[in-house]
Amino acid sequence: MLKLLSMVAAVIVWGLVSLTLPPEIFPGPIETARTLWGEIAKGDLWTDLAMTMLRVVAGLLLALILGVPVGVLMGLSRRAETVLDVWVMIGLTVPSLCYAIMAFMWFGLNEGAAIIAIAVTAAPSITINIWEGVKNVDTRLVAMARVFEASRPAIVRRVLMPQIFPYVMASARFGLGIIWKITVLVELIGRPNGVGFKLFYWYQLADMRQVLAWTLLFTIIMLLIELVILKPIERRIFAWRPQVAV
Amino acid sequence: MNPAIEVASLRKTFKGRDGTSRAVLKDLDLSVGAGEFLCILGPSGCGKSTLLNVLAGLDNVYEGQARVSGGRVGYLFQEPRLLPWLTAEQNLDFVLGSCKVPPARWEELKSRYLAMTGLSEYRDYYPHQISGGMAQRLALVRALCVEPGILLMDEPFSGLDEITARRIRTDLLSIWRETRKTIVFVTHNAYEACFLADRILVMSDGAFRQETRVPITRPRSYDDPAIFQLSRDVIKAFDEIGREPVPSAVPATEPTLVDDLDRHAAARMNI
Repeated sequence: MLKLLSMVAAVIVWGLVSLTLPPEIFPGPIETARTLWGEIAKGDLWTDLAMTMLRVVAGLLLALILGVPVGVLMGLSRRAETVLDVWVMIGLTVPSLCYAIMAFMWFGLNEGAAIIAIAVTAAPSITINIWEGVKNVDTRLVAMARVFEASRPAIVRRVLMPQIFPYVMASARFGLGIIWKITVLVELIGRPNGVGFKLFYWYQLADMRQVLAWTLLFTIIMLLIELVILKPIERRIFAWRPQVAV
Repeated sequence: MNPAIEVASLRKTFKGRDGTSRAVLKDLDLSVGAGEFLCILGPSGCGKSTLLNVLAGLDNVYEGQARVSGGRVGYLFQEPRLLPWLTAEQNLDFVLGSCKVPPARWEELKSRYLAMTGLSEYRDYYPHQISGGMAQRLALVRALCVEPGILLMDEPFSGLDEITARRIRTDLLSIWRETRKTIVFVTHNAYEACFLADRILVMSDGAFRQETRVPITRPRSYDDPAIFQLSRDVIKAFDEIGREPVPSAVPATEPTLVDDLDRHAAARMNI
């Protein structure tokens, strides 16, 4: 409820501020919504949206495939930790623009290069989350399971995985936040469609209505994914956790 | 009677970072009879938990012999160590499954021990929804329901408040009376040891220093002055060993009130 109220308030503030500026520079919410509606009615918006979503999902999957094993390895082995920790830092430090340029120059202006650039940018932060998670595994529970004759696979599946899973979830959400942003950037540089491409296109035409309309669309989609897909999944999986009263 | 646990010249050393090694267990010899309730009493760091880990098979790096026979080993840790994402019942199912107890027997075992500890109503509760005392009782149920021949307990009640701990100790004794398991119970609380044990081994610095047979008849009452007397003697003797100095003598007047006793126990029995 509060969430909704704060959003309504933000839209009202947006509307009020926009009154002080000409609509070509800062269009209000109604103007923006109307432009967005026009784009939706035209129909080709769905292709751009679908392409962006595809890149986001593929990028996230690849980032998890790259990031999770490295994080697990770093959490388990001190030697791996010593060797890799500086590389994770370097991976985090290199700007996503560099990854995008390198990927496009090495692999060509294609979908694969875009997805690789997205995944490589997000992987280090996923690694850090998982690394933290594996280090926090409660080994006392593992000892308990061993005393009760649990087999190695059973310990991994029933004692370790449930402890690491929250960190995988958190890193996927965190990674998603990063990936949205990179995807748009990658599309701007090297793809002929997608939300990022459209934003750049309208930027070149200096059409602020369209730029805001696309930003709004993107934000709404992101929120929907967060609220409709991720939150309920999390709530279901972590039903056993105590509610923290603050 | 065949001993359930036999330990001979057990030696365990830990290597420090600087390369020096420190002996934690120094040529221990120990024999525990089947059905015996043995308490190992000693200050923290004396090696008693290390000994339990060897007996439980958690630690396989040692010299000498450690043989455990007479069935599976059940373990009660200092903390409940329940899996927080499983309900009480699922926690029991987890160990019943991993110990390969035939599923046909699960229900009988679970309801029997849950009833013994008064937890029958709490099957569907998650560990965070029950109190610390209940969680530790559930851990006791978990250790019992895999039908161990030997029960190893590592200061299992030291984290609980005195009232709860006392209730569970009494529960434990009645369960022991019914099931006659071999129990090795590690504690730093002399009074607890005297209340529970058939025999007390005082351990210090990696070796057994003294053996006491507890002559008090069962069933025992927690407030029995004889227990208090005995725990005094155990501590006094321990003091004379001179390894771990214990503060001053016990007051001359014998406390009659339960509360008094507890205060004395808390102040002086915890070596």
